[in-house]
Amino acid sequence: MNASAKRKTVKGITLCADPAREPCFRIAQLDDEMQKFESALSKDAMRERLHRHMNNEMGALEIAAQCLADFPESPWELRVQLARQAFDESRHVHALHRRLRQLGGYKGEFPIGNFEWAVTNMCDTLAARLAIQNRTFEAGQMDLLGGLREIWRSAGDETTAEVLEHILADEINHVRFANQWIRKLVQADRRLLFKVASAVRFLAETNSAVSDGSGPSSEESPAQKHIKLGINVEDRRHADFNDDEINEILRQAGMSSLVSEGAKV
Amino acid sequence: MGLILREKAEYLATFRWLEVFLMETLARWVPTTPEMEVKVLMGRHIWDAAQHADALGKRTFELRAPLHYTLAPLPPYLGTMKELASVEDTPGRIQAVYDVILPGLASRYQHYLQNSDSLFDEPSFRVIEGILNDYARMRKECGEVRAELGKALEADSSRMQQWSREESVTTRIVVHGSGPTLAREVTA
Repeated sequence: MNASAKRKTVKGITLCADPAREPCFRIAQLDDEMQKFESALSKDAMRERLHRHMNNEMGALEIAAQCLADFPESPWELRVQLARQAFDESRHVHALHRRLRQLGGYKGEFPIGNFEWAVTNMCDTLAARLAIQNRTFEAGQMDLLGGLREIWRSAGDETTAEVLEHILADEINHVRFANQWIRKLVQADRRLLFKVASAVRFLAETNSAVSDGSGPSSEESPAQKHIKLGINVEDRRHADFNDDEINEILRQAGMSSLVSEGAKV
Repeated sequence: MGLILREKAEYLATFRWLEVFLMETLARWVPTTPEMEVKVLMGRHIWDAAQHADALGKRTFELRAPLHYTLAPLPPYLGTMKELASVEDTPGRIQAVYDVILPGLASRYQHYLQNSDSLFDEPSFRVIEGILNDYARMRKECGEVRAELGKALEADSSRMQQWSREESVTTRIVVHGSGPTLAREVTA
């Protein structure tokens, strides 16, 4: 059976079952099962952030690879881009693992979650998977990396900041090719628009189910943390988001006052 | 006499099928292989196989075949490849790709070079020499992961020898002369 065809249930929602992991990893199904820290700048918290990022990159590698396995009839040029993405994400895992070890960390030191894999692989079209994984999760990561590299720098860790700079450069390319191919695929088959819209709605529903409710009410949700770090308008533009799309993202993030300013960046 | 033009296109189209098959096999294995270092290794080599398939597919067009012309190998070799792609355990998967498929394909690429001409077919030579260099690097990278993971990747050598025998016993892998007279008329 294909890895993307296996299922699990989390809070009543059917999702794709986790990809294979070594026994050293503890897999969290909900946000509040991930490790929390009083200070986001403590050494443990910084290592946890690298560890979490390493696993997210592993998930991105697995999703790109699964797209190649599940959609053999997709255009060859798009498959080459997915293969390149698999190569990039592999290097990201390697680089983050190396940096984690340099900082005294190790594989399995903290719990991990496979949310992106679990949601993305529920989509039965390549256009929808690109919309969820590349255009939503990876574009969101572009925003996060834009802020995080400065946090690492302000903590005096230029080496990690530089690792994130390189990862960010690669992610822009992944988001760009996805944006371009989603447009082409939808132009060729307008029914895909419905698939993409359904996938985005499914993501929103799942996101709210796994991240709210059971955690302490005073804690920020991942979306709130994301908003705090800002929207990376310049790199979103490099990734082929148009002005209307960027303005909509700013509005959704509660940054309507920046809309006209953002469009000029 | 060496290969004629159409046979060259058929060989390269078969090699292209094998590179796409390798890419897809590695892609299918990445999420189902637990070891992180092995996922990284396979993820890197997905891109290598894709580039090889891309270069071969562009070359087939230059040989008056369709762009990205692709031919499945003859059934005995196809069966061997499918058997290797069905391996479930990580040491076996590593053996299948790095000890059996890559050395086997390298020897078939070498055989092609021996039967073609380095002047008229020089563009194919450049593509294949690049692939052979990549194979050497890919196997070296696999050796590094084996050294890092040690016992976790220790495997049954007799199984590997049996697979290698099965791979090498099939001398003919290319479908010649079926379908339209000119390869270009065949839909890729």
